[in-house]
Amino acid sequence: MNAPNEIRAMLVESAMRLFADHVDAKMLEAAKRDGWSAALWATMESAELPRVSVPEEAGGAGGTVSDLAAMLRVAGRYAAPVPFAETALLANWLLAGAGLELPRGPLVVLTGAPLSAQRSGTGWVVSGVRARVPWARIAARLVGLAEADGQLLVVMVDSGACQIAPGRNLADEPRDQVTLRQVAPLLAAPAAAGVTARALRQRAALGRALLMAGALERALEISIDYAKQRVQFGHPIAQFQAMQQELARAGGEVAVAVAAAFLAAGAVERRGEALTEVAAAKICAANAAREVALIAHQVHGAVGVTNEYPLHHSTLRLWAWRDEDGNEAEWSMALGREVQQQGADALWPLLTRDARAG
Amino acid sequence: MFFDTVDFSDLELPAAARALRKEVRAFLQEEARAGTYTPQVGHAEFSADFTRKVAVRGWIGMTWPKRYGGQERSYLERFVVTEEMLAAAAPCAAHWFADRQIGPGLLRYGSEKLKQKYLPAIARGKCYFALGMSEPNSGSDLASVKTRAERVPGGWRVNGQKVWTSWAHKAHAFFVLCRTSPDTGNRHEGLSQLVVELNAPGVTVRPILLMNGFHHFNEVFLDNVFVPDDMVVGEVGQGWKQITSELALERSGPERYMITFPLLVELIRRLGKTADARALEHIGKLTARFWALRRMSLGIALTLERSIPGEGGAKHATPDLATEAALLKDVGTFYEREITDAARLLVGVEPDPDAPDAFVRHLADAIVFSPISTIRGGTTQVLRTLIARRLLGPRT
Repeated sequence: MNAPNEIRAMLVESAMRLFADHVDAKMLEAAKRDGWSAALWATMESAELPRVSVPEEAGGAGGTVSDLAAMLRVAGRYAAPVPFAETALLANWLLAGAGLELPRGPLVVLTGAPLSAQRSGTGWVVSGVRARVPWARIAARLVGLAEADGQLLVVMVDSGACQIAPGRNLADEPRDQVTLRQVAPLLAAPAAAGVTARALRQRAALGRALLMAGALERALEISIDYAKQRVQFGHPIAQFQAMQQELARAGGEVAVAVAAAFLAAGAVERRGEALTEVAAAKICAANAAREVALIAHQVHGAVGVTNEYPLHHSTLRLWAWRDEDGNEAEWSMALGREVQQQGADALWPLLTRDARAG
Repeated sequence: MFFDTVDFSDLELPAAARALRKEVRAFLQEEARAGTYTPQVGHAEFSADFTRKVAVRGWIGMTWPKRYGGQERSYLERFVVTEEMLAAAAPCAAHWFADRQIGPGLLRYGSEKLKQKYLPAIARGKCYFALGMSEPNSGSDLASVKTRAERVPGGWRVNGQKVWTSWAHKAHAFFVLCRTSPDTGNRHEGLSQLVVELNAPGVTVRPILLMNGFHHFNEVFLDNVFVPDDMVVGEVGQGWKQITSELALERSGPERYMITFPLLVELIRRLGKTADARALEHIGKLTARFWALRRMSLGIALTLERSIPGEGGAKHATPDLATEAALLKDVGTFYEREITDAARLLVGVEPDPDAPDAFVRHLADAIVFSPISTIRGGTTQVLRTLIARRLLGPRT
């Protein structure tokens, strides 16, 4: 795993151990039915994983977005059926920035346009409908942005006060419709500077790309192991060049996706909004998903498409996640629009600008 | 799996490299304004004038020690110069191989005499080099070279034939990979690198024209060419180790994904502000992929730079990034084709090598050049075999 410094290496190692110890075939099968794994979440919480990148003064570990990014990649690798990215990368960022207390328990985040907020006595009520909200039915609290008279608020609501219609993605992860009608938030405070619906959308896409990076690596690893064991024509199929060429092609796509995801994490860490980098991460992850998932299945032959064999935990997620938080076409058009607006002669300066600059 | 030692979340060029970029960009803009060269996609043009101007600015052999005419600057600064030259499609051919491979090879393995003889002249932009690797029956399988050097008093007598030798018709000398002792089973042993002057008696250079008539490649015949002992690079018999040791930097350079970049710029100009959704999608995807590939290339350069021995010995162990470099070249060379295809499909003009319009001309050149990137410097198939070896581990 990518571990360029000691702290990162330690974090990654402990996350790897945690997920390796607590995620198995039985648990993933149960999560399809239950929507998630409460036990895994409890273990992650006692290890303070969801607060890795929360500032110390807000009760977190004070790590960077890149530290969290490294752990999200591990979570993606194990197909961890929990709202890790939603809680750690999105909700805790919204809440801590607004000076609100971070509750225990998984948090679900409403992305997209802000909810509409109205004054109600000394407080607020918020309304809105959001389709395909990840994990909504399993969390006690929902966090999102709400807008009233041009003021942007971070709000946290009790999920019991919302209407939640269950749905699922290809990998049986909850993707539910959430309806809020004049719901009084449990907490509300002005959003921190730099916290916008657009920045939230980018973070969501970043989280998705990081999970995909891990899932891509896993799909490739499973395929490599299988190719080394499966014997046909008297040889492990890994010895056939045709197989090697496909695995190498998958390796290239995986490497690009992983690099792009971490580049985007670094950019978001430094600048908040980072359209080029986040778009690159989601585009490269989606491209890789298309190639790698099918190569992985091709390597496996028929056994890979069964419910019993573990490959589908990775590939179904890749096929679901590539379309969540904006697919590659959407991010390509957003980035393409930006590039065309700036014009041909601005491309090279854009591509070579300093990583820390805006 | 790959790039485990590269920190992609924190890739930044040092201040010196950023300042240098401005200088290089200003120089290239001035050259373009003055019309001293015509930007061309594909093989860079050979321009002795341009190379001398670059040399005056200290941008050839810039990482080499000052006593050999270098500037003792970092590989990252060299990276910046290289990518700026490629973005501008500048005519770098006269110093390309000397700067990228010959200089580093001589510095690492060459005798003091060889270094003194060639490095300062290369850095001044006065001495051009070619590379004599491939032979008619040795392409991907380079260790099978048949060119032989036999011991004679005071040196070696060389016989054989090299092919695909870029710019041999303009260069002063070339590195020749040859067999100095018979193949005794371990084919990677018994190979050596010699410096052969291209005006030496017995050397014949014949052009091989590309399918568009461009004279870039040559075949070079070596007929009883005498090479003195002091023209042997490094140890006799260690040629294989020597040529493979620098592959990470060679294969991961910006030239592995930037050849069609000038076409992308002109495509964006053509599409302008009225680009439709289909065009925006292509442009966004191409920009995104470039972003990632460039950073991967930079990541390799930064990681290797940090591991280069300083005055007090090695700063860190040198990470082995040869597989990552192979991977980057594989993905990068296919990326170059994506630009060409997008340009064709989005604009719908017929490629015309004589067009006054840069976009149309670049498109024509890019199409004709398109088979080359995935062949030179390691074919796609060889690279993927290397990548698979990393993925699969030792054969059981």
